[in-house]
Amino acid sequence: METGFLKEQKILESENSVDFLMNWFRKRSIFVLAYGTGCGAIEMPPTFTSRYDAERLGIRGSATPRQADVIIVSGYCSYKTLRRIIRTYEQMSNPKYVLALGSCTINGGMYWDSYNTIKKLEDYLPVDMYVNGCMPRPESILEGFIQLQKDIGDGKASSWELYEKNYDFYRKNQEAILGKVVEPSYEADWYLYDGGL
Amino acid sequence: MFDSIKNNFATFDVEVKRDDLYKVEVNKDRVFELIDFIGNNYEYQTLNAITCTDWIEDEHFSITYMLTSLDRKHTFMVQTTINRNKAKIKSLTDRFAQAEIMERDLAEMYGIDFIGNNNLKELSLENWIHTPPLRREFDTLEFVNEHLTFREGRDDNVDTKAEAKRLRALKKAQKEAEKKAKEEANGK
Repeated sequence: METGFLKEQKILESENSVDFLMNWFRKRSIFVLAYGTGCGAIEMPPTFTSRYDAERLGIRGSATPRQADVIIVSGYCSYKTLRRIIRTYEQMSNPKYVLALGSCTINGGMYWDSYNTIKKLEDYLPVDMYVNGCMPRPESILEGFIQLQKDIGDGKASSWELYEKNYDFYRKNQEAILGKVVEPSYEADWYLYDGGL
Repeated sequence: MFDSIKNNFATFDVEVKRDDLYKVEVNKDRVFELIDFIGNNYEYQTLNAITCTDWIEDEHFSITYMLTSLDRKHTFMVQTTINRNKAKIKSLTDRFAQAEIMERDLAEMYGIDFIGNNNLKELSLENWIHTPPLRREFDTLEFVNEHLTFREGRDDNVDTKAEAKRLRALKKAQKEAEKKAKEEANGK
């Protein structure tokens, strides 16, 4: 059986060579939105800085949603945060992937009976990869990223297509808890109020 | 100080909770008078916190103002009770500006109306239309079951408590059997 270079040579000569190449490029330059929700955000700085050095895998930060490929929902996600996450996610350009960290995004975690925290992230956004743990260590996050890279390479990670296809389903779930207006308002009333800050 | 408070406000005795903490309960109408009184005469001029306790059985909220004297490192709890169903009390914002955000928090979480505070907007919740969440008649679990869906458990999921109990009983039986066998061996 051919492996390595010979295998890739063969794929390049085949019909799917364009798809293969696109996926290959995508999986080797993952730009992660610098955005953290909940306590899991604390595990992201060590992942991306010198100790665990995610950049050796081609994973690095991006300052704006429009240039980002991956959004990490790191930890518990309250309704108020969910609004911002949805807004941010919809601003990102295709292809986009969602990586969910921690048990809170999987089943509510320790906030399972909280009135203001969602229990299953995949009801509201399509999730490509869950990393469990409370909190997952940087090793686990990297493991999740490597698995995500494999999925992207195989063309299996296509959650953004799901979001477009099942938009009504997601929108219905979002409206069920957030009300008719899902997007957050951007009036900085708390800042401009004369008795406030 | 105790005597003058007692004489002026006809309240119960001042309770000494700790070396650095006194507590006094006072009528709702006179609470601001008392706050002014101890602030002017005894240097309790910093408002630490306004808190609320929900006594659902007695059908009232008790609202506590924590006032501190920073020079003497001493705190005074001024407590008052208000009706639970029509929760209304005068605002403290004209005396302490920082009371605004504390009252905003209580207004959001307990549904208390602070008369005179004109910025009682939502602080940490957003578009909340249900019962204020920290009132005790708000059943969190019921709310969650109604509005959110849980993930179904794994197929091999076991009730950990029952499983632990079963294992413990099994271990005990094993131990007893061993003991019996040993005793029998010794007897022979």
